[in-house]
Amino acid sequence: MTKKNSSLSFYIMAGLLLVLVPISLYLVFNWVPPIKASNPTEQTAQRIFYYHVASAWNGFFAFFVVFLASIMYLWKKERKWENIAVASAEVGTLFMTIVLITGPIWAKPTWGIWWTWDARLTSSLVLWLIYVAYLFLRRYLPDGTRRANLSAVVGIIGFVDVPLVWYSIRWWETQHPSAVLAGGKKGSLAPEMLFTLLFCVGVFTILYFLLMQRRIEIAKLEDSINKQYKEWETLS
Amino acid sequence: MMEQVPAVITAEKLRKEFGRVVALRGVSFQVPASTFFTIFGRNGAGKSTLLSIISGMAAASSGVIRVFGEDPAARTQRHRLSVISHESFLYDNLTALENLEFYGKLYSVQDLKERTHHVLRQVGLHHRRFDLVRTFSRGMLQRLTIARAILHNPDLFLLDEPFTGLDQHATEMLIGLLETLKAQGKTILLTTHDLHIGLRLSDQYMILERQQVVETGSASGLTEDALREKYFSLISSGEAGQ
Amino acid sequence: MSVIWAIIRKDFQMEFRTKDSVTAMWIFSLLIFVIFNFTFEVSRLLMLQISPGLLWVAFIFSGMLGLNRSFQVEKENGNLRSLALTPADPGLIYFGKFFSTTLFTLIFEALIFPLFIIFYDIHLSLLTLWIIPIAILGTIGFTSLGTILSAVAIHTKQQQILLSLLLWPMITPIIIWSVKTTGDVLAGDLSTAFQPVIIRMIVFDVIFTTISYLLFEYVVQE
Repeated sequence: MTKKNSSLSFYIMAGLLLVLVPISLYLVFNWVPPIKASNPTEQTAQRIFYYHVASAWNGFFAFFVVFLASIMYLWKKERKWENIAVASAEVGTLFMTIVLITGPIWAKPTWGIWWTWDARLTSSLVLWLIYVAYLFLRRYLPDGTRRANLSAVVGIIGFVDVPLVWYSIRWWETQHPSAVLAGGKKGSLAPEMLFTLLFCVGVFTILYFLLMQRRIEIAKLEDSINKQYKEWETLS
Repeated sequence: MMEQVPAVITAEKLRKEFGRVVALRGVSFQVPASTFFTIFGRNGAGKSTLLSIISGMAAASSGVIRVFGEDPAARTQRHRLSVISHESFLYDNLTALENLEFYGKLYSVQDLKERTHHVLRQVGLHHRRFDLVRTFSRGMLQRLTIARAILHNPDLFLLDEPFTGLDQHATEMLIGLLETLKAQGKTILLTTHDLHIGLRLSDQYMILERQQVVETGSASGLTEDALREKYFSLISSGEAGQ
Repeated sequence: MSVIWAIIRKDFQMEFRTKDSVTAMWIFSLLIFVIFNFTFEVSRLLMLQISPGLLWVAFIFSGMLGLNRSFQVEKENGNLRSLALTPADPGLIYFGKFFSTTLFTLIFEALIFPLFIIFYDIHLSLLTLWIIPIAILGTIGFTSLGTILSAVAIHTKQQQILLSLLLWPMITPIIIWSVKTTGDVLAGDLSTAFQPVIIRMIVFDVIFTTISYLLFEYVVQE
């Protein structure tokens, strides 16, 4: 990507978000009809669901990108792919953190408890832990091909594990009927709710790409500054 | 034209860079067979990276590297190559014999039993073959390290700062062993920042500074003072030369 | 094949030279049972319910110790690097380390299990024999990932903590399945879910041994 192109894509995405984020807020808080619930707090809390699910979707998507970029790195051995993988791991962890924060905020008024070992929350927590470990690994190693190799290996293994974790925890939940609570998340969605959900997912996906683009730009800048410094050092 | 002796190592414009790290900036050189070739340079000059590429453990970003005429990354010539570093590569809780037997199997050494005994006699450790490596003195450890390195009878030795942490006695012993290998016609590539030892053993030398080759030459007839002068004029001032 | 065998043999030679570590790990699992007894003051019935989990906690803890030991010796004198410098295929080196840690962990588990039977008054029947394939499948799941992640963690100074950080979340599925099937066996009543779960464990093991075998080369590269 040339400099001009990258700043152009940034302005387009940032512009879109400036318009779309307020619209999404309007949809979530005003347009969508409230769910049928016994108390108003629960009705309001349910509205967090749109951002919650949008974050979760992007978290998964981000980890998938880590997986693809890690494979590409091991194949091509190019810095570019390492940068994409790391950027996506960081952004994905951020989205998963949002999932883990919004989940309990919703659970408290709905179920009366902050945390429950609900399959979705638990899987999200385990996935979050996998990618936090990935980021820790990178902190413990100096920059270089070794770090890139090792993090790519973990990025690949970690993502292969994602569906297994997800599936096994869901299955585990069915083995513990007491852990399954009736909640607003289940049941079919009204058309307005579905539209709002898809809209939020779309907005968050643009946000994902914007954050990715920024993060990769930073990595590139760091590299070029350090490289120029080294060149300068050689000439002096 | 005269028939040329094929070089054991050929490097052409080797470059290794990754992101912000530039480890080699176009390094070219040749190591002819049966030559003791020393690479001088400070820490961070690119010596270790170069050895990693030659041993096939790391890939260059660009340029060509051939060891025995093949790409070392393909691992086809591994059995003809041996790496010696300041780490012993030995297992402390195995006996000397067990260590050699283990590595012998990994290198698929023929007639392993005879070979291990032969090598142990060669380094004068045969009487200690049933003793655990952790009971060995520094000097004995050094000799067993060499025994491990020559076990599969390689043609090329890569020595990565092998003198680091050795006392005077162990250093002399290692030099003695290297001289023996040299006399046997082995090709040896040594990296060191020690001008004295390096010059004493070398046929040819090369100076790496800031990831580039700044000097190559024949070591014969070169005095240590002359090399020292050259070295310090080529590498940057102040902190250098340790 | 000879590479795998050479590594297993070497690891066993070393382990049996330091038999104290075997004893230490056995005592360690004994301690786990003792501590659990005091931390969970529960009725006998409830104890029966949580005992499969307890058994696997003891298995995993001693497995972690085993993994750390197995790779500590490869780190001490740069040995992992020297293994990678031999003509041996890195994938075979992986299998060598994988088999030796698996065998070791299984031996520990065999030593731990009698303690478990005594402390938790487990009723033995022919069905109890199922614990053997379950332990093997669960342990392979744990060590297949543990071996490659140990080789990853070995390159950092915080080797042990990093190994736990990486490994524990990733083995969640195999732990869930192992505990569940162990529970069925100990209750003496195999649920309908038993057989499909065993198949899932096999799938998990096959997936991660294959991936690790393929990726190990990149772990030893410089």
